Amino acid sequence: MEDGEIEEGMVVEESSPAPPRKPEKSPYDMLKESKASVEEIVTKILSIKNENKPKSQLREQVTQMFLHFVTLRQANRIILLEEDKVKAETERAKAPVDFTTLQLHNLMYEKSHYLKAIKTCKDFKSKYPDIELVPEDEFLRDAPEEIKGLNLSDDSSHNLMLKRLNYELFQRKELCKLLEKLEQQKKSLLEVIANRKKFLSSLPSHLKSLKKASLPVQNQLGVLHTKKLKQHHLAELLPPPLYVIYSQFMAQKEAFGEDVDLEIIGSMKDAQALARQQANKDNGLPTSIESSRLEDDGPDEEDDGQRRRKRPKRVPSKESIDQAGVYQVHPLKIILHIFDDEASDPRSTKLITLKFEYLLKLNVVCVGIEGSTEGPESNILCNLFPDDTGLDLPHQSAKLFVGDAAMFDEKRISRPYKWAQHLAGIDFLPEVSPLLNSHETSNGETKSDAVISGLALYRQQNRVQTVMQRIRSRKKADLALAEQLDSLMKLKWPSLNCKSVPWASHSPLCSLHSWSSVGSKVNEASSQPVADAEPVQEPMDVDLDGRSGMSKEELEGLREDGELPSLLSAPSVTIDAKLTLLKESSLNHSKQLALTSKSILSPVSKGKSPSFIKRDDDSDFILETDSDLDEPTETETENSASTQCYEIAEKSWVDYCIKEFILLLTRKMDTSGRNMKLEAKVKISMEYPLRPPLFSLNLYSSPLDNSSENDYSEWQNEVRAMEAEVNLHMLKMVPPDVENYTLSHQVYCLAMLFDYYMDEATSSSEKRKSSSVIDVGLCKPVSGKLLARSFRGRDRRKMISWKDMECTIGYPF
Amino acid sequence: MCGDATNWDEEAYRESILREREIQTLTVFRTVWAPSLNPNPECVVVASSDGSIASYSISSCVSKLPIGFCSVRAQRLLPAEPEGFLEGHDGPAYDVKFYGNGEDSLLLSCGDDGKIKGWRWKEFTESEVPITFQGNHMKPVLDLVNPQHKGPWGALSPIPENNAIAVDPQGGSIFSAAGDSCAYCWDVEKGEIKMVFKGHLDYLHCILARASSNQIITGSEDGTARIWDCKSGKCIKVIDPLKDKKLKGLFSCVSCIALDTSESWLACGSGRNLSVWNLPASECISTISNRASIQDVVFDDNQILAVGADPVLNRFDMNGTTLSQIQCAPQSAFSVSLHPSGVTAIGGYGGLVDVISQFGSHLCTFRSHCV
Repeated sequence: MEDGEIEEGMVVEESSPAPPRKPEKSPYDMLKESKASVEEIVTKILSIKNENKPKSQLREQVTQMFLHFVTLRQANRIILLEEDKVKAETERAKAPVDFTTLQLHNLMYEKSHYLKAIKTCKDFKSKYPDIELVPEDEFLRDAPEEIKGLNLSDDSSHNLMLKRLNYELFQRKELCKLLEKLEQQKKSLLEVIANRKKFLSSLPSHLKSLKKASLPVQNQLGVLHTKKLKQHHLAELLPPPLYVIYSQFMAQKEAFGEDVDLEIIGSMKDAQALARQQANKDNGLPTSIESSRLEDDGPDEEDDGQRRRKRPKRVPSKESIDQAGVYQVHPLKIILHIFDDEASDPRSTKLITLKFEYLLKLNVVCVGIEGSTEGPESNILCNLFPDDTGLDLPHQSAKLFVGDAAMFDEKRISRPYKWAQHLAGIDFLPEVSPLLNSHETSNGETKSDAVISGLALYRQQNRVQTVMQRIRSRKKADLALAEQLDSLMKLKWPSLNCKSVPWASHSPLCSLHSWSSVGSKVNEASSQPVADAEPVQEPMDVDLDGRSGMSKEELEGLREDGELPSLLSAPSVTIDAKLTLLKESSLNHSKQLALTSKSILSPVSKGKSPSFIKRDDDSDFILETDSDLDEPTETETENSASTQCYEIAEKSWVDYCIKEFILLLTRKMDTSGRNMKLEAKVKISMEYPLRPPLFSLNLYSSPLDNSSENDYSEWQNEVRAMEAEVNLHMLKMVPPDVENYTLSHQVYCLAMLFDYYMDEATSSSEKRKSSSVIDVGLCKPVSGKLLARSFRGRDRRKMISWKDMECTIGYPF
Repeated sequence: MCGDATNWDEEAYRESILREREIQTLTVFRTVWAPSLNPNPECVVVASSDGSIASYSISSCVSKLPIGFCSVRAQRLLPAEPEGFLEGHDGPAYDVKFYGNGEDSLLLSCGDDGKIKGWRWKEFTESEVPITFQGNHMKPVLDLVNPQHKGPWGALSPIPENNAIAVDPQGGSIFSAAGDSCAYCWDVEKGEIKMVFKGHLDYLHCILARASSNQIITGSEDGTARIWDCKSGKCIKVIDPLKDKKLKGLFSCVSCIALDTSESWLACGSGRNLSVWNLPASECISTISNRASIQDVVFDDNQILAVGADPVLNRFDMNGTTLSQIQCAPQSAFSVSLHPSGVTAIGGYGGLVDVISQFGSHLCTFRSHCV
């Protein structure tokens, strides 16, 4: 409207100069003129009214006024008309403008749509970068022409890509085809395998029937193939230590012709069950391979009638094993027969049969003599090597396991000797079953390395040979010893086949009066409870002994008001008491000794075996006639006992299973008519002859002699010298090939020494002889003489010269 | 231990067993206290039947005693570790003596091989050689050998053994009691025999120098003791302890003699009897009869200590009364020696040396070392 007005105005201004419009006044001017004229009239009216001029003038004024009103109305009408005309004009101009605007909007929308479409196209991703394609040059080289030749697109790179993709597709299709073909082949192969397996599974039964059929033939031919096989099967189930023993002995036997026989006994079923159980326990998961393997072995045994017979027996035995607790034994055992290797014809004499068994819980190998019951015979395996009584367990872990009972159960015949452990290689074997090693390869390798090096060392050390040699020599020595003891028991001088030693040619003048066994101490530990069983007697005994010592000392103390009698007596009494204690606990027979000394019988009855009890009557007589005799002999017996005690305290294992005998040699002296007696306590250890018998000597005259001055404690030095000779020095003269007869040699030597000492005692007047020589051809005697001596040195050692297989007293002739 | 099944050496084991027995049959023939400025007993020198001469320190032996009641018993088992060790003689070594006092004193030893050897004591004690290698590490400064006797056609007798030696440092002489019935007087400087004392009928057991009157006294197997004048070499007096007794038993040899400090009293052990003589008066004062034969005797002021073939140390007074008897370790004792402080060392069979304090208690007991 405004625009219109302005345009109008402009139009008016433009048209104002135009002549048509010139005469016509613009409505606004008219409006303004009329308004101004109206206002002029009004003012005139007002002035009339105010000047009270005649109303006539008003009439004209009103008429004037009306005229102007008409002009005003006209002007208004013109303005309205004018407005309508502008409005219509604007309406006409608006339609094209609207159309154009719409068109513009359409175009804008279209544009944005296209832009969007372009963007989506641009964002489109193809799959081909993910596909692993054959490299370009390889494609160009290898692709067939038909693919290379195709022209799929104008764009060359795109074309290439398409071609490569096509090639890829082609190749993959080819491979799929191949796969299919191979699958088919596999299937056919599997079928073949299944067929063959079926055949294999049926084979054992065929073979078994064949084997069964061949048994009579085998027996006929003496080929014990089946037995061997069975043994091998059993060997596989052996615990590692026993396996080592088995394999090493087998190897020794096959390689060096060692004269032994090995067999494995025990129930295979139990062993299998045990192995399975152990494998499961150790592994935590069921080992199907093992068990299946074991099952395979199972039926093999099944048809063995002998085994089947044993089966019902096995059940109670298993129970007893369970009861044994820590002493649980592996069901399989090795029996080793050892034959004499020096015998001329093969397989002639069986020396000994050993049984090796394995204690599962303790991880020790025990050995016993098969077929032997309780008794000293089973002890020949002990101390085979030094300090090996078989009573204490060889390793600490086992000791810990057993706990308070540190000693091995001594009632068992087989014992865990250290040498058995060495033989079993327990020092290098790991503590797991061999079945486990097979599939625990990772750490099993290091273990097997250790085992291999251990076995190498084992062979290098010749353990099997060493032990075999020791056992053979021990057994032979045992046989020889038994023979010698037998002849001594019958009071016959044992025979000596070796004549190259002085005592062999000497025919004893003294007589072998007695040879009695003091009873072998099976062991000290068992004697302990015996001592405990008589607790009342025991301390009393000591007490009495102590008191007797005390009284002796007191007597001496009372004799003079000397310097320290009471002080001096104290240590000696305690010594006495302790000696007795030691004696009690260690030596069975020494208790008798102590008892006799307690009751202060005669010296003669002391240290004597019960077989001489009849002498006691005589000894009472002695007691009456000469009580002085008591003391010196008492001290002497005490001393000999005390030396024994020292040795016991020193090495208890040495005295284990020691055999003790008392040998009594007597000689009737021609000159005085006395009966001289030499009592020898002979201790024969299990290590005989390696550890030669130990003689402890005692000399006294028979009770018939009652002259006071002949107290044979004066012979102390001579007796000790004899001891030294018999126990030590003469052994160096015994040829090594007859060392099993050492005891006989010692007895002979002792007899010879006894003879010579007694001879010397009779002819003491002519102690020192000198020999002068006269050379008959020359008239004058040859000057100079040589003295013959029979004693020498501060200890008055006796000289015996040995020439031409005969011994004489003194040297140098 | 000599191995087991893994490492078995049978020969070595056999050796070890015999060796063990050897130690037990060893005899200690003489124990002598080494001279020292210390008033307490320090060191004892031991001659034993394997020909070895070894010195042991008493303090170390005592300190090695296990604490407890049974100390004496337990100790016996252990061969003691010597301070010094010499393989002095072939065969037994019978006697050792010290010649001179102080720094340059000589340790004299004699033995069954008829030799007298002298070793420098200072060198011996201060030797740097480890004890296990000792034995032949020292050369003797003195090495005297007994002469051999001529027999028909120039046959030579065996070299007689030396059973005992005595010394006279003032006169520079060593006296030896030899196995050929003679006593010899050796000049220490020249190493020659100065004088031969002939007259005994059998070999000599013991010898003593009586320096105050330039005499020596010998005891022999023939049952007599003789007093000799060193200047003339003549026998002045024959003492026959058993002459008037008519007791010639089995063993009537004079096995040991001892002089008191005033050199006027003589104790003479012969067989089981011990006779005490007053030399100025030439009279037998008393005779003591012992249970076992007497093998060594020594004066302790007015008392006599005697050991013999039983494990007892006897103490007698001059009148022959037994004052005390102390149990000692060796079953047969060959030597008793008294230290000025009153400590006695007893050596004997079993290679045992028992050291008894002045109060009669056992200070220590040890087994001597074997070659």
